[in-house]
Amino acid sequence: MNETPRTFYWIGLSIIGLVIALYILFPIFWLFLASFKTQSELAQLPISFWPESATLDAYKALFSPTHQKGQLLDWPRLIGNSFFVAISSTILVVFFGTLAGYAFARLHFPGRDLILGGLLVSRMFQGAALLLPTYRLMTTLGLQDSTIGLVLLYSAFGLPFATWIIASSLREIPRELEESAMMDGASRLQSMAMVVLPLATPALITAAMWHFVGAWSEFAFASILLESNENKTVTIGLASFVELFTLEFQFVGAAATIVALPIMLVFFFGQRYFTRGLLAGAVKG
Amino acid sequence: MGSVTLTNIRKSYGAVEVLHGIDLDIADGEFTVLVGPSGCGKSTLLRSIAGLETISDGEISLDGEIINKRQPKERDIAMVFQNYALYPHMTVAKNMAFSLRLAKEAQSEIDRKVKDAAEILDLVPLLDRYPRQLSGGQRQRVAMGRAIVRDPKVFLFDEPLSNLDAKLRVQMRAEIKELHQRLKTTTIYVTHDQIEAMTMADKIVVMRGGHVEQIGSPLELYDRPASVFVAGFIGSPAMNFLPGSAKGGAIQTPNGDVIQGLPDGIAEGRAVIAGVRPEDLRLADQGIAARVVVIEPTGAETQLMLRTADTDITLTTRDRVSVAPGDTVHLQIEPGKLHCFDAETEMSLRTDDT
Repeated sequence: MNETPRTFYWIGLSIIGLVIALYILFPIFWLFLASFKTQSELAQLPISFWPESATLDAYKALFSPTHQKGQLLDWPRLIGNSFFVAISSTILVVFFGTLAGYAFARLHFPGRDLILGGLLVSRMFQGAALLLPTYRLMTTLGLQDSTIGLVLLYSAFGLPFATWIIASSLREIPRELEESAMMDGASRLQSMAMVVLPLATPALITAAMWHFVGAWSEFAFASILLESNENKTVTIGLASFVELFTLEFQFVGAAATIVALPIMLVFFFGQRYFTRGLLAGAVKG
Repeated sequence: MGSVTLTNIRKSYGAVEVLHGIDLDIADGEFTVLVGPSGCGKSTLLRSIAGLETISDGEISLDGEIINKRQPKERDIAMVFQNYALYPHMTVAKNMAFSLRLAKEAQSEIDRKVKDAAEILDLVPLLDRYPRQLSGGQRQRVAMGRAIVRDPKVFLFDEPLSNLDAKLRVQMRAEIKELHQRLKTTTIYVTHDQIEAMTMADKIVVMRGGHVEQIGSPLELYDRPASVFVAGFIGSPAMNFLPGSAKGGAIQTPNGDVIQGLPDGIAEGRAVIAGVRPEDLRLADQGIAARVVVIEPTGAETQLMLRTADTDITLTTRDRVSVAPGDTVHLQIEPGKLHCFDAETEMSLRTDDT
């Protein structure tokens, strides 16, 4: 075994990885830095990299009504709406995805594999193609401009994939474990709750993370369905900066940082489950 | 108490019937082994008794009560699975306590029962471990512990030793048997290994293709196999079979060897199969002629692989033999040790069978 080529190999790979990471992360970092700068500093030339005198004014402005100058949206409200929509639909998706996933993994019914395959196909539709029909549907149902409507819509979109992830992971759990629980005196529901679900936790967390991030960041459907300011979500809030008379970049930076925060936290706490859940069954172990 | 009666058990998957009417009586406290090649229906039968499979027809009763409509949890039967099926997220103690927790027993009672079972099975130092931290034999014992804490009427074992290495298998075999002698709980044990069946069972049920081929004690099956299948399945090395036809009160093989000992009343010329166990053959000056192919000394005994003009024959002897591969030897059958089967039905022609 020759060590030198191996070392070069790893150093080379690391450099490539660093470059890619830098390329992806720099704009985000730039936005993050901008959030601490003042309006005048952002306008001056030459551009300064680090804030000259870091300030939290942009954050204060987003959160205090007195600073809103009639232009900024009610950011605490937007954040609350986004949390409501993302968390509620995540709960719905994981709950029903677990029930459906269990059925697909364990019960025999006609057309099971076809339907399970169909769930994946439904993921391949371009969202844009569904914008107009969805708008018509939601207005007909009277669910436009309502966060509840958005919760239902996101749940419907998220359910197929969550079901699919959960079903694949439940299939990995030996049937004998449930049979053993049933011999031990458990009903089917008890054996599911006490034996199967604890073992499926990585998949449930993966499905939940996947859906939460998607729902939190969703823009297109929210933008066509939500009209009144009190119903809007953070993604619409971010887009609305474009419409302001003056582009105050420090506000964009502060808002974007706040919007990114929940997603970063979700990944920070869930990533070890995330890779495990997605790779479930990929390697026989 | 735990006497099990199966009456005309049938099981179909769609149009395919896999159990064709099984009748079986198992007395309280009996150790019964269901044995047969894979696909013979033994596991399906066991799972039907457990309630994990629904039967298509027939009745399963336990102590006179019909239980085949009951859920598994309502049958008072415990089962040990082939892969142990231990709950990976629970410690050994929690695994064993699971059924008692579901039955809502008092914590003090649960602790006492788990401790008792752990002592019987030598699991006390392992109670706080998780299944992944245990060896195969330890997992096997936890699976048994989980069954015995419940003090059920019947234990079911589904090939419990097949995941263990040979040495551990012999050891666990003895442990299971000892456990049975101690608890005296009715036990139904499924295996494809005839040695396991022979060494453990009070009663062996040989199954084949969804039928019961023969039921009896290990030595009954060995000494009086009802068919060519049972004769060939029970015993290792397997029984030798020599096809021939009845002639003048003896069996004549196609190449002219004559084997004495044909039962009375067999019509002249009827096609029969002579069966003889390897240890019931001995080397002699005359008799069936065979060429020595391989000699396998194991110390206590020696096996000779022989080839006649028609077939291969195995001979086992405790004598030290001085033959070499290629030699021609002659074989005699110990008097009274010949088994005769009808060539067409493959059923025994023994006249003292009733």
